[in-house]
Amino acid sequence: MAAFEYRQAEEIRDVFALHGVRYLFIGKSGAILLGYPDTTQDADLFVEKSQLNGERLAAALHQLGFDLNTQQEADVLRGRDFIQLKNGPFDLDLIFAPDGIETFEHAWTRRIEIEGFPVCHLDQIIASKEAANRKKDRESLERLRAFREYWRRQRP
Amino acid sequence: MTIGSAAVAHNRRHVGLKVGKTMSNDETLEAIPADWLAEFEAAARRPLKLRMKYAFIHTYKPVLDDAPYRSFETMAEYRKWCNENLPDWLGYGSI
Repeated sequence: MAAFEYRQAEEIRDVFALHGVRYLFIGKSGAILLGYPDTTQDADLFVEKSQLNGERLAAALHQLGFDLNTQQEADVLRGRDFIQLKNGPFDLDLIFAPDGIETFEHAWTRRIEIEGFPVCHLDQIIASKEAANRKKDRESLERLRAFREYWRRQRP
Repeated sequence: MTIGSAAVAHNRRHVGLKVGKTMSNDETLEAIPADWLAEFEAAARRPLKLRMKYAFIHTYKPVLDDAPYRSFETMAEYRKWCNENLPDWLGYGSI
């Protein structure tokens, strides 16, 4: 699997918009969209958990080229909390209930749009990593918090 | 120590940025290590497309990359699976 590319982020943005999927880029991929200089492997999407959004998401994933069988599509429709897709044109993590964020609606109201990409607010990306409390997050949080201070200062 | 932690350790001369701490803008930027600040500013000068080209890399992650699909009913189940199945050095385990 090759690295995730800008063109693929555009495909997600455009196809998800076509189907009306409500989602946000989250995690380090979200922070990178906001300007954070670091490396990551794949894109993480925080997806609204609802029957309608699940149906839209499944249709969008099929259009993007993800090969979902009946059971996997049912998982998407139900909105299992964490779905890891490596059966499509690029790797994608779907997160319906990220640690440290109370509701999708709240995150949606605080979203940042970058070139049409809906991105979770940096406060919530950091809150999610703090709540997950993984070794790899612990090591990157200090730099991510420093970036938040810089980012706040730069925003209009 | 996981991937990237050496770089973090290198940058530990940092005075500590706390959520809710009241500082002026200048004080805030002064609190950021100079090398990090230089990286943030360099990134800000690059267009998003170029930033993403530098940011997304692919390296094989054992176990994690060995199945085309996984799903978990809850995040707690996912964290438990990571703790029990992934090599510690990948850094996915809870602290």
